[in-house]
Amino acid sequence: MNKVKRTWQINGEEHQTEIPPVRRFLDVLREDLGLKGTKEGCGEGECGACTVIVNGEAVLSCMLPAGQVPENAEVTTVEGLEKTPGGRLLQAAYAEKGAAQCGFCIPGMIVSSYAMLSRDPSADPARIREAHAGNICRCTGYEKIVEAIQSAAEQWPAGTKG
Amino acid sequence: MAGWNERVTDLSIASTMTFDDVACAFPASLQEALELMADEKTRGRLLAGGTDLMVQWESGVLAMPERAVSVKALPELRTIEETEADVIIGASVTHMDIRRSPLTQKHVPSLVDAAATIGGFQIQTMGTIGGSVANASPAGDLAPSLMITDGAVVLASVRGEREVPITAFWTGYRKTDMQPDELIVRFRLPKMPEGYREAWRKLGPRQAQAISKVMGSCRGCVEGGVVKSFRVAIGSVAPTCVRLYDVEKWIEGKKLNEGTLAEAEKRTSDSITPIADIRSTAEYRKWVTGRIVRGFLEQFADQ
Repeated sequence: MNKVKRTWQINGEEHQTEIPPVRRFLDVLREDLGLKGTKEGCGEGECGACTVIVNGEAVLSCMLPAGQVPENAEVTTVEGLEKTPGGRLLQAAYAEKGAAQCGFCIPGMIVSSYAMLSRDPSADPARIREAHAGNICRCTGYEKIVEAIQSAAEQWPAGTKG
Repeated sequence: MAGWNERVTDLSIASTMTFDDVACAFPASLQEALELMADEKTRGRLLAGGTDLMVQWESGVLAMPERAVSVKALPELRTIEETEADVIIGASVTHMDIRRSPLTQKHVPSLVDAAATIGGFQIQTMGTIGGSVANASPAGDLAPSLMITDGAVVLASVRGEREVPITAFWTGYRKTDMQPDELIVRFRLPKMPEGYREAWRKLGPRQAQAISKVMGSCRGCVEGGVVKSFRVAIGSVAPTCVRLYDVEKWIEGKKLNEGTLAEAEKRTSDSITPIADIRSTAEYRKWVTGRIVRGFLEQFADQ
């Protein structure tokens, strides 16, 4: 069986893996590395529940062949957010605004928030909505989610990646 | 198992393999990739961003291949450059790269607008222009904006490079002019000339994450109310994206007024024979395509 070796920095920790190259990155995270915060919703790129960040870009781990995650890539999953000031801000803002109901979409949603604000914290509501159009919530609608992200954006630590 | 690019009708074939069974090569250079593709023993299904293939493999629409060749990270395929006349976009450039590049924004603006309507941010950071074009879906959102440039797809193999006009690249439903040992290396897109404009329109059930019912792009120039030049391409109304040459020829040189706009709309609707499918009806597609083209002309007339 052909496997490939990859070393990744996941949430600031080094992980050495040997994986089937086209195994979904989602399965590597959840099953092989035990990082079950990332969720599988549709499994076909529609819902965004499996969103993680690879080298600064939000991606869908359900459609990402793990072998394509580059050597030494920096990966952030929902578990890594509380280690960062921006992630903690978002966590608090989502809670304060009541942005989660059933909560299934939230790991992907908040990772998209973090990816967007890390790139550009000057987010207006239209841009927030665009950056989260690939994350679907079927409970609350999006008002409180957008409010939470705006609130976090206003307090975003200046000049850092978050 | 089915061949590397055959569509599966017997779903029991697909169900016997999982993602873990697929071997994959990660060539470090274009030359290495071409050599892998040259030999039947090492050739594999070309894999770029995975946003089409991973779904099609999982659902059984396409058979999982024994081998894949990942071209996503090939450095030669990742750049956007310009010459005096053209914008040159590498095949593994992502939809998000297209959105962010000042070169594409300036010289092929409808391609940028189209890239912005594909999926959500996550699909845009993963999916590539080469993958979208090679996937050859009639609903591929980049197709119309590529077609209206009269540009070319550049294919490479160990035998050398060749250019295929984009208008001739898709030969039928999900069919392309690519040979088994070839891969798309880049797109050569003539820049929008001075004084010209482009427009893009997509109709789907929602703003994001939607597969188009109908979409299209145009490039043209209207001076003093007279159409100097007009190229228009529409997707999701035929087995491939189509240029509406008859409409283009008819409208060029005409003054835009209620009469000519209405006639252009009618000629557009009459020129296509779309099908009904899960996303829309044939009647709606026919009617709305006329409206889209009329809208393009009205937009240009206003400036």
